[in-house]
Amino acid sequence: MMISLLSRALMMSTPLMLGSIAEVIAERSGMMVTAIEGIFLVGAWGGFVGTYLTGSAWIGMLTAILCGLTVAAIYGSISIFMRQHQVVTGTALNILAAGFCAYFQRVLFGVPTSPLKITPLQSLSIPLLSQIPVLGPIFFQQNALTYFVYLLIPIAYIVLYKTSVGLTIRSTGENPEAVDVAGIHVNTVRFLTVLTAGVLGGLAGAFYSVGYLGMFTTNMIGGRGWIAFAICFLGNWNPKGAVIGTVVFGLAEAVAIYMQSIGGNGYFPNELFIALPYILTIVLTVARRNFNVPAKLGVAYCKES
Amino acid sequence: MNAKLRDLIVTNLLAVFAGLFLSGILLLFLKINPLIVFKQAVVTMVTDKYTLGDVFLKATPLIFTALAFAFTFKANLFNIGAQGQFYMGAIVAVAVSLKLDGVVPTPVLLVVVCVLTFLAGGVVGGLIGFLKARYHANEFLVSMMSTYVALAVMNYLLRTFLKESKGEYPQTDAISNSGWIPTLIKGTRLHAGFLLAMLTAVAVWILLYKTPLGYRIRAVGSNASAAQMSGINSGRIYVAAFFISGALAGMAGFTEVNGVQHMLIQNFNPDVGSAGLGIAILANANPIGIIFASLLFGALNVAGNLMGRMPGVNVPSSIIDLMQGFVMTFVIISYFARTYLDRQRKKRELQKAVEK
Amino acid sequence: MQAPFFELRNISKYFTGVVANKDISFSIQRGEVLALLGENGAGKSTIMKILYGLYKADAGKILMEGREQKITCPKDAMALGISMIQQHFSLVPAHTVTENIILGSVHGKIDYKKCESEVKRLADQYGFEIPVDAKISELDVGVQQKVEIIKALYLNAKLLIMDEPTAVLTPQESQKLMDFVKDYVAKGNSVIFITHKLKEVMDVANRIIVMRNGEVCGDLNASETNEGELSRLMIGRELVMPEKDRQEHSGQKVRLSVKNITVEKKGETPVLKDISFEIHEGEIFGIAGVSGNGQEELCEVIWGALKADTGTISLDGQDITHLSIRGRIGKGIGYVPVDRHRDAMVMDMTLAENMMLKSSYDAKWTRHGLIDRKKLSDYTKQAISDFMIKAPGPDAQAKGLSGGNQQKALLAREVGHAGALLILNQPTRGLDLGAINNIHTTILEEQKHKKSILLVSTELSEIFKLCDRIAVMYKGSFMGIYSGDELNTEKIGLLMAGYSAKREAAKG
Repeated sequence: MMISLLSRALMMSTPLMLGSIAEVIAERSGMMVTAIEGIFLVGAWGGFVGTYLTGSAWIGMLTAILCGLTVAAIYGSISIFMRQHQVVTGTALNILAAGFCAYFQRVLFGVPTSPLKITPLQSLSIPLLSQIPVLGPIFFQQNALTYFVYLLIPIAYIVLYKTSVGLTIRSTGENPEAVDVAGIHVNTVRFLTVLTAGVLGGLAGAFYSVGYLGMFTTNMIGGRGWIAFAICFLGNWNPKGAVIGTVVFGLAEAVAIYMQSIGGNGYFPNELFIALPYILTIVLTVARRNFNVPAKLGVAYCKES
Repeated sequence: MNAKLRDLIVTNLLAVFAGLFLSGILLLFLKINPLIVFKQAVVTMVTDKYTLGDVFLKATPLIFTALAFAFTFKANLFNIGAQGQFYMGAIVAVAVSLKLDGVVPTPVLLVVVCVLTFLAGGVVGGLIGFLKARYHANEFLVSMMSTYVALAVMNYLLRTFLKESKGEYPQTDAISNSGWIPTLIKGTRLHAGFLLAMLTAVAVWILLYKTPLGYRIRAVGSNASAAQMSGINSGRIYVAAFFISGALAGMAGFTEVNGVQHMLIQNFNPDVGSAGLGIAILANANPIGIIFASLLFGALNVAGNLMGRMPGVNVPSSIIDLMQGFVMTFVIISYFARTYLDRQRKKRELQKAVEK
Repeated sequence: MQAPFFELRNISKYFTGVVANKDISFSIQRGEVLALLGENGAGKSTIMKILYGLYKADAGKILMEGREQKITCPKDAMALGISMIQQHFSLVPAHTVTENIILGSVHGKIDYKKCESEVKRLADQYGFEIPVDAKISELDVGVQQKVEIIKALYLNAKLLIMDEPTAVLTPQESQKLMDFVKDYVAKGNSVIFITHKLKEVMDVANRIIVMRNGEVCGDLNASETNEGELSRLMIGRELVMPEKDRQEHSGQKVRLSVKNITVEKKGETPVLKDISFEIHEGEIFGIAGVSGNGQEELCEVIWGALKADTGTISLDGQDITHLSIRGRIGKGIGYVPVDRHRDAMVMDMTLAENMMLKSSYDAKWTRHGLIDRKKLSDYTKQAISDFMIKAPGPDAQAKGLSGGNQQKALLAREVGHAGALLILNQPTRGLDLGAINNIHTTILEEQKHKKSILLVSTELSEIFKLCDRIAVMYKGSFMGIYSGDELNTEKIGLLMAGYSAKREAAKG
């Protein structure tokens, strides 16, 4: 029971991990990706459509990435090159993304009489590793996206802290003038990090449709993008913090499902469990101290006035 | 100033047009002729009194939630939680109305409910402001999450304490007409809440631009450090600004429950918060501009529904989100276009002056 | 004669509303120190940012050794061997020295050990002591500047542009910098030195370009000119300096009394250490020192923005240690902070609105609960004419005013409501001489009205010109309090660098 709970927690953490690492990378360069909710949603939709039409979950992932990339590119163009407010731009795109997915779902599939289904990604047992008692079933009987996250965490960490690319990204968020003076185009760096966030966010969205439920509904993201956004803040803008934050949230979600399954809603209202991740975010936001905010987070860069 | 105002109107109209144009193009995917449905929608809206009334009706809550966002936005703060504060207002409105229904005369009931929804939204908003002032909590995240929590609270109450007496659906009993906001024009659904919304917009404008409190809110918003250094307690300003902002959103609950729905149901007006935000952006957070932008969004909403009901064509309701999303995006781009044009013009003038 | 190392030809640059550079032409030879002299706002930094590729010129061209070069971004400039040290350092405070130096010049995986040793070797070569693995935020400004220089040398710069490099240094540190410059050009490199200080120019430059209002108004050999000529070229008119007669105030009533003020940060050295002094009625008390030695904190403690851990402050005999800022405003204290953009003005508001920032609770601005716009507007108009503020009117946006006029408006506001004590933290920093002159006149005028003034400045000439008594601050404590004529530049320079008078005497 405990093992399946933890295994489930890890699975539920996968998209949040992707999303929060996407945010960490972009925010380190000074860009809040406030379109993350929309990116998640188009990712979920693109993933579903790609998989449904081709029958291949892999192609579904690819279309999810393309969809996420498109929203990120629009977001980046408006907020970076046109220097518009990041929160404002993101809000508009989130509404647009919601309308777009719902509308084209209808265009492509009409009003189906029964919900459209695709086969979700199967969990793959890794030979040998999955045989390890306790740890094996928790860590190594997951689906491909979760394994991708295992790789992504160390890669994100190494790139951010051990390479010139990471140094440039981090400097861009702290002091874009310094980066400019060093001969690097600030806005190009920012655009690229936003695009990266689009790719990862699109995949995160695809997790919900292709990786987990095997279907698409317009409200399936329900603020999860924002939770990834919050985790990036709470995790102090570094990949390690994002991992810890995500695991906490994954656990909360898994506990909620577990409590419901054992009939906990006899004692507590069901809505409490549904609201748990959001309440947790508020509590952590209030309790969290010593933020290590990138100094120029959310500020558009303009060198000539 | 006049040239600037002209620029503002022209670019905004262009943005609205571009948004509608793109949405129209997308209708072609459903093999629907956008010109025909748009025209038909506009004709109905202009000729049918009931439909026209609905435009104003739909605009009413949007004015409140847009004012809610605009109010904190002027203080450089983000209250993304108008939706949740609206839910709180709606819960209080329905609970109090049902309690007082038939107990007190209509005017008393309406005033009491209005004040209490104001306070309900205000308390939620003020709490966010307090967390920001006292614990430096990020108000953007907290207000964002507060909506989901408020939604859960509402669903819980609809399932338990507020559940209808029949006990069938998760919704409340209906309020009898003694608890309704009076209708403004016979033959329409338009109620006096719209007047309240307009008055509120004017009041907000006066509060922000003509009173010392509004002055301090704007000062803290533009430069919190300088305000603090000038003896203004920015923490108190945060709480006050968020209280007022939340209260404004709460009042939308009053007009929607007592003016339109007369009961509270699950999934009640789930978009007033985000649409309000969009409207505030559209109007550049100007309270008077918000009235017009709300009417535009109200019209888009009504048009979308009309198109969905037209015989023979099946326009999905998501076209409303699409139209609103496109319009907002283009309006944001038009801000850029305006500053860009303005700069180029000034630069040319300068260059000319120098060459002479 | 061979073609000059670099040449700028007919460069113009327009910003929104301002001509920053108009038809600028000059050149620099190898092995030459060129001074770019001019007041703030003369367009010196702009022309150099064009040479460095940070700004795009609207007209004109740049030549290197006679060949035209397209410099569209700093990368192009670096490839030609140009490097520029910005006035406000472009360092990332949260990163280490090494990370800052290698930014933009490493690729792929970073071998921090190797990079650190490279940086260290380079620093040793020029005799700079730099902790290569320390964070920038932990370093003094003097050291930060050395980091900037090493950053340029790391890129193998042949032409080094320095924008106001001595602004943050003690006289002795400045001297060391001059030695470096001479040493560096002796190796065949060139330096362009942007400054508004005449003395430095005469000290280090071979040739001098004088700029005024965006135009070149003089191109002279240092050996053929003098400070008087340069000053006239730079300002374009004769200035009448305000006169001050230094007075003895010890007999007067004590206005401000600061006793044993200490401010500590957790686990760090105290920001303020046991500071005590008094200011009398009608006295100007100066605090000299390199910026960042606790001056700002001291002002904030007296202003009420920073809480002292120990000690008391009293005004006219009344204890005000625990009074809020609002309370202190009520007692007649005024404060002009060093960073007006951050701490004193709301740039997005109008000039009139800024005038009521500190008195927004005062009922005098309201009628029936609403702001009395006419009264505020009249008050602002009066201030505009009294203080010679160049502004279109009370409804002009504060950010549209020049720095000097913003500062005059700020001073007008503070003078208006501060009846007892004015705290001025570097009130003339970054202003042109005309505005500085104006502000000095105002300060002396307020002294005549029996106000007490606390003047913090890093400009020694200002301190000597205005102050009755002078304290020198170093690392959070006073190195002593002196009357104006007890000090000279050399002595004050040593005190600013932390050498106490006694220790020097003992050594000598």
